[in-house]
Amino acid sequence: MTALKFDNLKNEGIENLPDRQRRNFLKLGFAITGVFAGGTILAVTSSVRRSFASSGDFLAQYPYKPHYGMLIRQDRCIDCERCKQACAKTNHVPAYGYRTDILERVRPDAEGQQREFIPVLCNHCNLPQCVRVCPTRATYKDRRNGIVMMNPKKCIGCLTCQMACPYNARYFNEEKMAVDKCDFCWEARLDRGGKLTACAAACPAQARIFGDLSRDDDPVHRVVHQIGRTVWVLRPEAGTKPNVFYTRG
Amino acid sequence: MRLFFICLICGLVLLIAGPGFAEDVDHGGDIHFKQPVVGVLFSHTLHVEELGLECDSCHEGLFAYEAGTAEAKDDFTMKSLAEGNYCGACHDGSTAFSSETRCAVCHEGVKGYKRALGLINAPEHDRK
Ligand code: SF4
Ligand code: SF4
Repeated sequence: MTALKFDNLKNEGIENLPDRQRRNFLKLGFAITGVFAGGTILAVTSSVRRSFASSGDFLAQYPYKPHYGMLIRQDRCIDCERCKQACAKTNHVPAYGYRTDILERVRPDAEGQQREFIPVLCNHCNLPQCVRVCPTRATYKDRRNGIVMMNPKKCIGCLTCQMACPYNARYFNEEKMAVDKCDFCWEARLDRGGKLTACAAACPAQARIFGDLSRDDDPVHRVVHQIGRTVWVLRPEAGTKPNVFYTRG
Repeated sequence: MRLFFICLICGLVLLIAGPGFAEDVDHGGDIHFKQPVVGVLFSHTLHVEELGLECDSCHEGLFAYEAGTAEAKDDFTMKSLAEGNYCGACHDGSTAFSSETRCAVCHEGVKGYKRALGLINAPEHDRK
């Protein structure tokens, strides 16, 4: 039950990127350094200081307070799956379901490290497709923190959200008779005073950094906005403005 | 309970004799560690046949001959490797790449471990 598949990812060059997409990313405060797999994964580096040194525009990118997000340090993941186990235990995820998963990419022709593991989860998008399509508003964007929440009582199990989510982050929970998904451990941890998601707390490699993008001194914010660092998101072409970022090193 | 012991004994026999049955070689084959995290591959083929190391290079002090000995110890950790123990004796950044870099060269993960046990197939993509 893998969430996403990435076949033969390769850098396809930024020349092929539509101008509009390039401009949108600049608006978000990123310069584009490379496109992977036909734009499925887009590498961006922070150009925030250059484009938005003191602009109010930019602040609007993080409309929530706190504005939760996650940084995945992709080259550190070793697929030990402690995050998955911790998530399942904390959130009572059944064996047939998942709230987070680890993808594997193997490049036998690569120099050096030929294998890479890619943790994936709900991206808590700023423009969530799931929320847009849900007929009963069972899934919604929480105004307090930007988390994409589920209200299982309202869910009628139509699975429209599952179809709409570009990250395949949703599964149907037969016990709840409702769709279930990552809520950044809001119910199980954050709302009870916890500071970290179960997966971030369990990771022995610090591959998952959880934070509040609205704060300048936040570890995720700082990496995402670090000049010269390559940071990317998965499937930017879906236009959902995800809040899960990826980097290496 | 009796079934448990039979399984345990079969398991132990396979564990000790497994690599010997599988291939006719004079080294330990592939070791798939599962402690302290699941899925680290040590290849005797690579280290002995391709890199030409002697048994003594590691089995003199760093690792006992018996598989599972290092794993049972509390100090079989990345921290200890960084201090020059176990794999870290060579993987120090000068003799061989540092144990603090290129994680997934050795870490095959839960997926790699399950593949080794035949529980899942090789990844469909990128297979050459
Ligand atoms: S990743 Fe999927 S479930 Fe999460 S907010 Fe985006 S569209 Fe919705
Ligand atoms: S716990 Fe960390 S290193 Fe292990 S699989 Fe999860 S993200 Fe990767």
